[in-house]
Order: sequence, then C-alpha cells, then structure tokens
Amino acid sequence: MPTPGLQAEPSLGVPGKKRWAMVVDLRRCIGCMACVSACKAEYDVPLGVWRTIVKVKDTGTYPNVRRNFMPRLCNHCDNPPCVRNCPTGATYKHEDGFVLQRYERCIACRTCIAACPYNARFVLPRNRTRVGINGVVDKCTFCQHRVEKGIVPACVQTCLGRSRIFGDMNDPNSEVARLVATEKTAVLKPEKGTRPQVYYIRPERAHTEQVASRPASYAARSDAEAFYRHNRGSRFFAGVL
Amino acid sequence: MITRNSLNLTRRGFMKLGGTAAAVAASLESRRLVAMEQSLGGKDFSAVTGAERQAVPYTCLACNIEDGGVAFVENGRIVKLEGNMDHPNTRGKLCAKGNAGYLHVYDPDRIMTPLQRTGKRGEGKWKRISYDEAATILAAKLRQVIDRSEREGDPAIRNEIVFKWGRNRTGGAVSRFMHALGSNTMVNHTNICESSKKVGLEPSWGPDIESCDWANTKYIINFGSNVLETAYFMNPNAQRLVDGVVANKAKLVSFDVRLSNTAGYSDEWYAPFPGTDGAIALAMAHVIMNEGLYDADFVRDWTNVTAEQLIAHLKPYTPEFAEEESGVPARDIRRIAREFATTKPATTFSYRGPCKHLWGAYQEAAIHMLNVITGNVETKGGYCLPRGMGWPQPEPNPPAGKVPSVLAKPPLYPLASHAVSTNVPYMIMKGEAKVSVWMSYYDNPVYAYPSSHLWKDFLTDESHVPFYVSFSPYMSETTELADLIIPDVTYLERHDPESMPSGLYPCLSIRQPVIKPLGGTQEFRQTLIDVIRKVDPDEALGVRKYFAFDTVEDWMRAHFDNIPGLKEAGGWNALKEKGVWPIYGKVDQETAKLVDRNGNEVEAEYGLHRKRLSASEIADAEIDVQGTIRKNGHAIGVSINGRGHVGFGTGSRKIEIYKEGWREYGFNPMPVYKRLASREKKPDELVLTTYKVNVHTQSRTSSLKVLAELYHKNPAWMNPGTAAARDITDGDLIRVTSPLGYIVTRAHVTEGIHPEVIAISTACGHDAYGRLAQLKHREADPEYALGGDPDVTHNVWWDDKGVHPNPIIRLAVDPIGGSQGWYDTVVSVTKAEPGDMYGDVRVSTEQAMKDYDETLRYAYTGDLHRAAHKEVDVDWDNLPKPALSVGH
Repeated sequence: MPTPGLQAEPSLGVPGKKRWAMVVDLRRCIGCMACVSACKAEYDVPLGVWRTIVKVKDTGTYPNVRRNFMPRLCNHCDNPPCVRNCPTGATYKHEDGFVLQRYERCIACRTCIAACPYNARFVLPRNRTRVGINGVVDKCTFCQHRVEKGIVPACVQTCLGRSRIFGDMNDPNSEVARLVATEKTAVLKPEKGTRPQVYYIRPERAHTEQVASRPASYAARSDAEAFYRHNRGSRFFAGVL
Repeated sequence: MITRNSLNLTRRGFMKLGGTAAAVAASLESRRLVAMEQSLGGKDFSAVTGAERQAVPYTCLACNIEDGGVAFVENGRIVKLEGNMDHPNTRGKLCAKGNAGYLHVYDPDRIMTPLQRTGKRGEGKWKRISYDEAATILAAKLRQVIDRSEREGDPAIRNEIVFKWGRNRTGGAVSRFMHALGSNTMVNHTNICESSKKVGLEPSWGPDIESCDWANTKYIINFGSNVLETAYFMNPNAQRLVDGVVANKAKLVSFDVRLSNTAGYSDEWYAPFPGTDGAIALAMAHVIMNEGLYDADFVRDWTNVTAEQLIAHLKPYTPEFAEEESGVPARDIRRIAREFATTKPATTFSYRGPCKHLWGAYQEAAIHMLNVITGNVETKGGYCLPRGMGWPQPEPNPPAGKVPSVLAKPPLYPLASHAVSTNVPYMIMKGEAKVSVWMSYYDNPVYAYPSSHLWKDFLTDESHVPFYVSFSPYMSETTELADLIIPDVTYLERHDPESMPSGLYPCLSIRQPVIKPLGGTQEFRQTLIDVIRKVDPDEALGVRKYFAFDTVEDWMRAHFDNIPGLKEAGGWNALKEKGVWPIYGKVDQETAKLVDRNGNEVEAEYGLHRKRLSASEIADAEIDVQGTIRKNGHAIGVSINGRGHVGFGTGSRKIEIYKEGWREYGFNPMPVYKRLASREKKPDELVLTTYKVNVHTQSRTSSLKVLAELYHKNPAWMNPGTAAARDITDGDLIRVTSPLGYIVTRAHVTEGIHPEVIAISTACGHDAYGRLAQLKHREADPEYALGGDPDVTHNVWWDDKGVHPNPIIRLAVDPIGGSQGWYDTVVSVTKAEPGDMYGDVRVSTEQAMKDYDETLRYAYTGDLHRAAHKEVDVDWDNLPKPALSVGH
C-alpha cells in the first residue's frame, strides 16, 4: 500500500497537475555520451555508478551492420515500485512526477534497488570528490532542482542530437506531449504496470532487448568482471566499453 | 495532429501564402506560445543547496573545435561546464569531452609548480622552483643562442631555437615570441592530423576545409570521416547532421573501413579497402560526367577545366575499376553517384580516412571534385566554404626571422603547406639541422607520433637536444623527458583569442580565467612576457617592445578593442561577458535553428564566391582569356557574363581542378588514384588502422576519470572470418607485428570491420600522463602534483589501460600534402606466443630510421616518385631544386 504523503497519486492526464516526462528520440541518438558526462559533473556522480548511461549494441553481420544506441535513466514511473517498497520513506514521488530520494532517511537496505525493474538505482560509494553524501541510495532526479527553476535536465541541455526532449506531459502543447501523440513510441517493460515516463521514439527490438542482455563481447564482459571484482555485492553495472 | 516537421514547413510557407494558411499558421504559433517549455540552459543551480552557480563564458579546448562554453562555479570551484547558448555554431552544447573539461583543472596529477630536472633525463627526479627562477633559466638559454648568433654574425643560428606544438590556440602568441627571438623554427603537429586534406583542398579552392550545410542538405556522402564522434568540428557538425538526417530526411552514405558510430548511423555503410576512397570518388565523377549529370554551367564558369577534359581524364576510372581496387560493388558506386548528382542539395564530407595515406592529397582532391561538378559548392544545403573571422595582432608585431628554417619548411616537400613535423627528429639525427633549445607546448610526440619510440630516443639524447623545456601542466610521455617544466594553466584559467569556422556563422570567441589559476600557477602568456623581459632586460636586443603588455588582459584588449562593430558593442569587455561575438540570435527550442526576436530564422549567407566586385575594384583591372580579373598583378576575381565576382582563393580565382603547381614537381595536376603499397600486401597480412573514439582526444583525456571510465582499453578489432583463419577468438591475446616490431594486445572480434583490416584505437595505453592513465591511481601523490581525488583513489574499477599501437606504425609521408600515412602500415596478426604478456612492446629504432629513408624515395626528388608518375608531362631531369622558403 502506498504510504500517504510519500507516494503522490499518479498525475498523468490529471488536469491541473504537472507530469514531467522525457522523450528519447532514438533516430537522433548518436551515442556521443555527452549526457553521461554532463550528468556526472552536475551531481559529482562517483566512478562506478551512473544516473544515466547510453548502451551500445551492434546488430547484423558484415557488411550489413548497424549500431544501436539506447540511453537509459530512471523512468520516473507514475506508479513507482521503488517508492512502494521503501521501508523508511526515503524514496518518494513528488506530485509533479519526480521520483526522488531523501538521503537522510535512507538506510541503504537496497529494497528499492531490488524493486526497480530498470536497474536505475545504486548505492553511493564512501568516497566522492566534492559532495559529502555517501553510502545511501541515489538515482536520477530528472534534474528536479533545475526543472523547478525552469531549466531542462543537464542531459537534455547538452544532448548533441537533440535526442532527449523534456517537458510536461500534461501540457498538450508541450513538445513531449505532441511527440508522444504523433510518433510511434514505446516505454520499457510496460507489463510491469509502472507507467514509465521515459518514452522512446522508434525503438527497434535491438534497442529494447539489449536493456536486459548480458555483455556479449570479451571487451564488455571483462569490464563487467572487473567491475564486480571491485564492487563486491553490487548488482548495478551500467558500464559500456 | 501535426508533427514537428510539418509544423516547420507550415510556418515557413505561411509568409508566402497568406489567407487560410496564415490563419492555420497563426493558430499553430499561438499554441506554441501556450506551452510552458523549460529553458534550454544558461543557468545552473547546486543540486545540494539550490544556490545559483556563477556563470562565466569561455571557449572549449578539450579538442580543437573551440565550442562556446559557460563554466559554472560553486564556492570558487568549477563544478560544471555547459555550451554557450550565444555561440551560433555550437548552439549551447558540448560533447562528452567538453563536459568533462573541468577535470583537467582538478586532475590530481596536474603539475602545480615549475620543475627543474635533477636526475638523468626521464628519470623522474625533479626540484621545485619558482616561475621567476624558471623564466630566468630559459631566458639565459635563449640569450646564449642569440649572443652566439650575433657574435658569429649568423642569423641562421637563431633557428636552433625550436618551438614544437601539438595544439597552439594562442592566437599568435607563439609566433610573436619566436619571431622576437629571431627564429622561424616553429614545428606544428598538422601532418599527424589532417594536413593532406588541407593540401588537397587549398590549391583547389583556397581554404583548407569545407563547411557542409548539414541541416539543409538532402544527401551526404561521407568518405572516411567519423563526424559523429571525432573529426574536425564534431559537435557542431554532428548536431546539424542529425538535423539533416532526421528533420530534413537527408540520406547519409558512409565509406569507412570500420563501423564507426557515424558508419553505424548511416543509411548505407561500405567498407572499402584502406586508401581506395579516391578510386571510388573518381569513379563517381566518371559516372556523373559520362551520364551528363553534371552542372555544366558551374563547371564552365567556375573551374579551370572543361567538361570534355574531365571526361577524358576520368576515362580509366570506371566503377568496375573502382570495385577492383576498393571491393565496393560497381553497381552501388554507380547508383550512389547518380543519387548524389540528382539529389539537390548534396554534399560530401571527408576526413582522415582518405587523406592519411601516401598521396592522400590526391584522394581529397578527388572527393572535393564531386561537389564541384555537381554545382553544390556554396549552395544552401551544399558544400560551403569555411567562415572564419580574424582579429588584429597588437602593434608592434615582430618580423619573421631572417633565415628560413629547414625544419619548419622542409625543402623536399614544397607543396606541404602544413609542413612535415614527423620528419623533424630524423632530420636532426641525420645532421640536417641543429637544436640548441627545444620548447614544447601541448605536444606529446613520444606517445602520439608514428614510431613513437624514436621520439623518445631523440628527446632523451642530449647530443640531439641539449636543452628541452616543456610548458605542459601534465607529466606526459614527452614532458617527463624535459630539463625544465614551466607549467601552463588549463584552458579554463587563461586568456586566448579564438575564431573557428565551425559552422556557417562566422564569429569570434575568447578564453578567460573562469577562476583564478589554481595554486599560484601562471598562464603561458605571462611566462612568455616574463621570458622576453629577461632575454632583453635593457632593451638592447630591441625585442622587449613586442611584449610591452602590463597585463595579459591588456594583450587581449589590444586584439579586440578596435574591431569595427565589436568596438561599438564593447570590445574585449563584451567578449568577457558573452564569450562570443557577434550574437546572431537565439536558438529555437524545437528546430535548433538560429532565430531573431520574431522567431524568424537568421539564415546563413551563401554564395560567397559570387559576391560582386565593386566598380572601383574593377577599375583598371584586366580580364584574361580564362575570365580571371587581375589588377596590379593580383587576381581579384572572375568575370562571368561581363560581371565581376570575387571567386575563390586560388591563383585564377576559380576552382582549380587542374593544379599546375603540382605538375611542376612531377605530380599529376589532376585528381588521380595511385595504388598504395598496402594494396599489394600478401593475402595473409592485414592493414593496421587507428581511430579516435567519441570520448577521447588523441592523448590528453586518458587522465580524465569520467572519460576513462567510459573508454579505457582498446582491443584490436578483427572480422570474425579474419580471426577464425588465425585460430583467434574474441578476447585472445594476439601479437601484431609490423617491420618495426610487435605489440601484444587482445582481439575484439566484431562484424563491423573490413576482413583485411585490423583497427586499434588511440587514447589508451599510456606509459605516463599521470597515475590514472596508467592505472597507478593508488600510488602516492607526486610531490609536484595537485593531489588526490578520493573518487579516483578508491572508486576506479577497471583494470585494463589498453595498449598503444603507435610504436609499430611506420613513418610514411604523403609527398604532396606531407601527411603521415597512418593507415598504410601492413602487419601480420597471430595468436600471442608463449611468454608474451599483454602490453608487451618490442620495436626497433634502426627500422624507424630505415622507414625515413624509404619514405623519402616518394618525395618529389625520389626514385619511387618518378616511377609512380610516368604519365606526368614534366622535364624530369630539370625539376625545381629543393629550396628553403620562409614561412610555415
């Protein structure tokens, strides 16, 4: 059962409410990783954890090969299982749709990590460069602190291909609402009933399937192995080669 | 519901249609106003405290594209970088490297004090000294050379003062310094970069690069450029390329031996045999000319050849011939040629793939010609001239040195207008030039050059380089060999003037200290002022006056305060506030086009060559039979139908497909294809190519944790069939052997590569450049360094730093353009042998010296040059003698 006050009611399509959302136009993603780099700076995100990442996968056989890029981040679900499962009320859903973390309440029990179908959460390591919040669960915030000041998230700001588009899904005139209304879009794991609010334009199977696929090449596999050797007990690895 | 694209069309059409359309458009317009969209940037706030971060504009120098940026400062620390929304070409965005650029400032291994060597060269023993002491030591060394030159009455001695740079964005400061010292020996890095592209283009139409109108084009042929990851102007080009492909429905066809992100994004990808792009381009030209698909007016009015001459010249270059050379099917070459010629507007873009070979300049010239014969030059959506903007040098400005420098302008390469920096150590080791003082700035040849081990031997040997000073703030493979290090600050802490033709809107931009330089470090420009003052303390040499700036900022004011237009806008102060000038408009949120206050697009200017000459310019001018307008011996334009146009920056003011200057030295004056030695390799050999990735520069970014986390190792790409034939599986330890020796690395078996190619990326495998790049991050801070970042010390999880391929890459110089043939090394690839360890490098310096002798045989005086150019109509026994010339 949702804890009153922590789990805001789903706001998608509710008049008078905001419902922030992101559209990722996969036709426009070139895998440049500017979003990853900007996000790491914005929050002093330590090594070994990511609020957003771009997965890369090649498909086909020579010479008919294509490369597919799949940006990943928290889906800021309208019905987020992480919030339902948090025993301390550290994770909560903002009435405008952000799924956020109250660090002072977090006991790093990892229940939310287990509950998230998107692998969007992680435990902050003890050592960071400049921000002193450590040892608790963290995640993408949709840059709530920027959005509330009228600015798009950092990843959207820097996106070279303008693949990431951000706005209020409840405003029918917003670019995100119009794109979702007019383009073929998909969300990840809709069957989980989470009502994710990151919409992908024109995903091919190669995109959506790689979300769950294990690293295939030696290069990716050896990175994953090195990662788990260094971060024993971690389930979260978002790295790319 | 109306899509974004049709919305734009409606808005544009509305101006012409009126009536109903206007009503529809007006309703769309008002609907757009209703949406409360978030702003795209310009401000930033702390995620922890919510406090607004201080914004300071700057110009990026993560790589050489010079994107406009804004740095955000929190409690005196640069915490975030963002694109400058006022920059007309980079439009508020930075790439991954640009976003990570602040990490250069806080690199735990950054050198925070001048250092004097106390042990042997390269031993790593240093004494910390002050900037003043360091400037005194350098000034004394320089003054010794000057005094000897004066004493012996030989100004050539001044050329023993050498300045080698990899990246010189000082806006003339280095030239001012060197010319004040009387030396012309400035050695750039351009021949390891793209110089043969430049030399393929300059005699063709003037400037050294094209500026494609990506966003407005309908068809793009990309020859060997990884424009979505690296290449020149990656960020601004990538933005507009995606707009072209997605919003404007342009088709993108790529030729690349490897599936780069660009190739992987293309509608069609073809993997030609390395170095055969020129054959493909010539075959396309063959099809276009023979099938009458060319722009007859443009060829007639704007080139120095006729259609008939072109058809005759292109006769041997059939698509079948190109298929034989490249492996790309003739039917595809034919079809793409037709599509390219009949889809308007269209453009090519090319970068290092075609030009980084022996005779790379021919390949670039062949590709350029495709745009010329189809009339796509300087059209909206086409292949445009670059648009830069100049600024004046403060007066007085010193004249060049009195004697030309053999190192800066090697006589055996008279057409290589961007010099041949790879040859410099060989020339010195062979006694062709002498060095007394070697200075280096943003330069790491011991890592970044072909046969990089030779540079290490060269710089370590005091008989070749008696005194070496590096201005680097990082302990690179090269800087660790220095006798003296006078560290510059990072690009976020210093002043530079900038202008880069990164798009269709010319502009100026600046660097300024976003924060006070860390820990009392001093910017390079101030070091130059200090050194000159110490070289000429009493003004007896008469050079102190060239550096009579009270402050570095005064130097900047002298550049910018008197430029018409900018002066009225506030000069340097305006640039400090906005970072860029002029401001063309705002970036439209949905189209990313520049728009004015009313939302109308601020269109770029096209047709620069058609600009009319004024009556006063034409007065007393003569028109020759070719239509070139000459005045006082100078070509000033082209006459077409009795009208004078400025034309292109060539001797005839036309596009010179025929290059008389090439013929004089026995090169073919027309774009031709020459078969490379690598094309004749044995069947079981492979061609080694290298490449850059989207998150790294050549050598400077492996120390940046965010980028190193994304990309840190570089297993060698091999096609599955190629690997299987050698009993190699994915991840196996392999030996890659060239005549220079071998490296031991691992195989990355992938479908995305030509079966006869092995590709190894750069930016990995450092033996220096700080602890992180070498994965020695748990070691204690060096005494001179800024010191620990706990994130780096504790959280680095990867354990593979990669293996650098440069030691086994052979020196090979394009005799025309001077480029290093990076993709001409033939290797054999086998499973590693017992005892081989990952990262082993065994290479020979003797073989490197032999490669130098070998490549000189292709220079215009060499026997292989003559053998390869039997068709050229020139008096072979009376080619011009190798001569020294001034300039660089």
